[in-house]
Amino acid sequence: MRKILSVLLITVVIVSLLGGCSSSNKKDSGNGPIKIAVAFPMTGDNAEYGKSFLLAAQIKVDEWNANGGVLGRNIELVNYDDKNSGEEAASIAQKIVSNPEIIGVLGHFSSGVSMVAAPTYEENKVIEISNTASHPDYSSIGKYIFRNNSVISSEFKVIEDIITNDLSLTKVGIVAIKTDWGTTAGAIAADMIKNNPGLELVAQEEVLEGSDDYSLAIAKLQEAGAEVVISVGMYSLIAPLAKQYKAVDPDIQVIGLSNAYAQQLIELGGEAVEGIIFPVSFYADSDEEAVKQFVTAYVEEFGSEPSALAAQAYDSIGILLEAVKQNGSLDKETLRDTLNSITYQGITGETKFDEIGDATKEYTKLIVKDGKFVRYNGKAAQ
Amino acid sequence: MEKIRTGINRLTEGFSYLETNVYKYRIILYAGGLSLSMLLPVFGFSQYMTRIFIMIGIYTMLALGLNILTGYTGLVSLGHGGFFAIGAYTTAILMLRFQMNFLIAVMIAMVFTGICGLLLGLPTLRLTGTYLSIVTLGFGEIVRMVIMNFDTVTNGTLGIRNIPRPSFFGFELTLANHGLFYLMLVLLILVTYVCIGIQNSNMGRTLRAIKADELAAVMMGIRSSRYKVGAFVVSAVLTGLAGGYYASLVSYIDHNSFTFDVSIMILSIVILGGMGTIRGMFLGAAILVAFPEVARPLMEWRFVVYGLVLILMMRFKPQGLLGWRSRLPYKIPVLKRSQTYREEKEANRRGR
Amino acid sequence: MILQQIFNGLSLGMAYALIAVGYSLVFGILRLVNFSHGAVYAFGAHAVIFFIGYHFGLIPAILLGVLLTGALGVLIDRVALYPLRKKKSPGISSLITTIGISYIIQNLLMMGFGSEKKPFPKLFDNRIVHILGARISTMQIIMFVTSVILLAILTFLIKGTKIGLAMRAVEQNEKNAGLMGINTNFIIAFTFFLGGISAAIASVLISGYYEILYPTMGFMVGLKAFAAAVLGGIGVLHGAIVGGLVIGVSEGLAATWFGSQYRDSVAFIILIIVLIVRPAGLFGRKGIEKV
Repeated sequence: MRKILSVLLITVVIVSLLGGCSSSNKKDSGNGPIKIAVAFPMTGDNAEYGKSFLLAAQIKVDEWNANGGVLGRNIELVNYDDKNSGEEAASIAQKIVSNPEIIGVLGHFSSGVSMVAAPTYEENKVIEISNTASHPDYSSIGKYIFRNNSVISSEFKVIEDIITNDLSLTKVGIVAIKTDWGTTAGAIAADMIKNNPGLELVAQEEVLEGSDDYSLAIAKLQEAGAEVVISVGMYSLIAPLAKQYKAVDPDIQVIGLSNAYAQQLIELGGEAVEGIIFPVSFYADSDEEAVKQFVTAYVEEFGSEPSALAAQAYDSIGILLEAVKQNGSLDKETLRDTLNSITYQGITGETKFDEIGDATKEYTKLIVKDGKFVRYNGKAAQ
Repeated sequence: MEKIRTGINRLTEGFSYLETNVYKYRIILYAGGLSLSMLLPVFGFSQYMTRIFIMIGIYTMLALGLNILTGYTGLVSLGHGGFFAIGAYTTAILMLRFQMNFLIAVMIAMVFTGICGLLLGLPTLRLTGTYLSIVTLGFGEIVRMVIMNFDTVTNGTLGIRNIPRPSFFGFELTLANHGLFYLMLVLLILVTYVCIGIQNSNMGRTLRAIKADELAAVMMGIRSSRYKVGAFVVSAVLTGLAGGYYASLVSYIDHNSFTFDVSIMILSIVILGGMGTIRGMFLGAAILVAFPEVARPLMEWRFVVYGLVLILMMRFKPQGLLGWRSRLPYKIPVLKRSQTYREEKEANRRGR
Repeated sequence: MILQQIFNGLSLGMAYALIAVGYSLVFGILRLVNFSHGAVYAFGAHAVIFFIGYHFGLIPAILLGVLLTGALGVLIDRVALYPLRKKKSPGISSLITTIGISYIIQNLLMMGFGSEKKPFPKLFDNRIVHILGARISTMQIIMFVTSVILLAILTFLIKGTKIGLAMRAVEQNEKNAGLMGINTNFIIAFTFFLGGISAAIASVLISGYYEILYPTMGFMVGLKAFAAAVLGGIGVLHGAIVGGLVIGVSEGLAATWFGSQYRDSVAFIILIIVLIVRPAGLFGRKGIEKV
């Protein structure tokens, strides 16, 4: 016991002597490439998203570099794999902020993971733009935390319009995936329906990830007499859900969210996803020159068309670089203010960050018809 | 294959040889190691490096906790992520909702995790081997389900955020001022000290006896079930401590932080390091936590390598890297009962 | 409604049962919880989709895929588990080894095929049949029939053939079986082959039913199937089927009464209760205790 005490005493003395020391920081050299970190799951369950976002970001960076970069310097992406795990993301965030050459981060994938990492970025004044996080509290974590994803409540306004005006249906069911995103989005959807006297919420079910059988939830919705089902999830929820629902009730109308806009939806759902309607801010078959350019470059590399989320990744890099250009320097504080003030015309429409750092967007409606996504103009126009 | 085997064997033989020779200077060694780790932040490590060291520390604590159950008693738990989660959530909720100090919150969390360990340990007494592992696996998954669905307390899938950092007398410990690192060090030393104490105590010997041969242990008059539950509780308490610290470190927890993978990771550390050893937990945690960081360039391959490490370990060195049989002379503990027995014998002889 | 949910639960349970048979088979002979089974299950569907991609046609692709998965089972045994048996390693070593194997298989699949959910071809034309006012699809009936046939074949193989006799002998006492002239290593490899085949058949049927496949598809369903196997008495083949059905139906009822999000917990709660009340499972014999 005396030995242990003496050892402890010695160490305490040493620590108190050296406690005041702090670690030194590297400085940005000022002429190398400007670095932007891209932190997404590159391995594991959600690797498909990470890989596609990285590619989309790279396309944007290549465009800028071909035009001489920004502030006379080249742009370089630094890729990190967070495996969609909070623990990994936290250590990656530390790694990113300890590299002074990195001006901003595109990431992370899920809201939960982004929110673990966000305080680190905020503390060190590194800009984080997430193109996927949708937790309502995410962007209010700090001034340096931005979101370039649709805010769900505005998306549901479009859905409300589709159900009441275009489809004239009343009995609504909700199937939400049980993740942080699905839970909040599902609750917002339920609120929207309850506040609209013309609509009736007949059933609300939450389904867990990791199972492809939705028959139990479907039976409940059908029993409750749902005419239209809002599916709160990625394509991987909507396609099997639509398939299994249409097997028991061919007349059901399924409505998705913009996150479900992906080529895989049609590949996976086949006939069953015909007639699914959803609001999007990005449409790959659009006539706009910028969209075409991005889609061609993306398809060439990836083999399939970009999703809405990939387009948001592309635009996020665009906004950040535009802000750097307009700001004229890499000063963290003014860069942040510039980012908050500019209005960016991207492929996902006009994007502007509001005070807490959420992007406001405009939506178009899409419907799946003959195995393709086409614009939807209401029932009358069909 | 032969080369790998002899290579690994030679390595551990070297370690074992080292042990015999170094034992004399152990105080110096421990003091040196300790002061070195205390000085680590001073070497100008970035927050990233500090964080990795802290993660190694947390996983060492977790492994030390599981080691009591798996290493000493031979009960394999596949659900320690559950205890980890309970510790983390209890601490987080107490600190946030009741504005408790970190230390008090963690202590209550440890007690609560211990109760959960008791609740899991009591009914599973009659289970052995595989069945016990399966129940623990189910326990881990159920804890996750409860977290996901018990919205009013755990905030469901949204997780708990803004968990305050530990602060003492108004001084907040963060990564930047290395406070969290030193707190980890203090907790780790505490846990290690407890583990050494258990190892050398009556309880530790009893647990090892149960592991070696439960039937024989029962024949010797050991109430094995009582000790097994005890091992469960102690193991849960230590894991809960690590969980509480973890919650305060990351300041955001949700159900995804405590998956089956975490339970397997803890078990892998125990096995890689060497079941039933304390030194092994440090090495195991250092290797398995640092591996994904070092192997980042390998990206996709690192999980495959992780699997390969497990398989190769099992094949060539199942007792773990540091799991050799100690060559140090075993100090036979002097028990009170044997003393009285000797006195009695002495008295008898004199009386004759 | 309840009836409909019970039917839904039954078809769900059939999927668990199909996978649970594989766990039971290997455990019955080796007393080993084969954690790699979920990954092998995912491998089966991917092997089939791989062969379909090379224009083998549906039926030959399925046959090739199933055989390849069986071969994978043998490979796992020969490369990783056989050396452990030879060394007489404790059971936990084999358990950890199978966990390592499942990591490797799952991540190799992810690298080879990508992590996204991919479509799997429809096996049969799906029709809805009405029984007592509840809907059942033909695919569900086919799944039920197939697993009963699979079970019957496996039971016959074990109870009625020479190799089955050898398997039972190895189960009772490996050393003595060897002394009696049984090639125990061949028998164990054969068991793994059967385990792989049953996993592949299960994955083809289930992927064909949901028309979806991805590398991590075996994880959750594998855990539940495992719970089913234990519930029925691990090592007992018909127990696996009953266990699967019980878990499926209770999931259906839990979803009806409490909500879909409570589905997954049900399997594990039942598992724990059964193990505490009757550790050997519903049909298990006593005295099984090895890791």
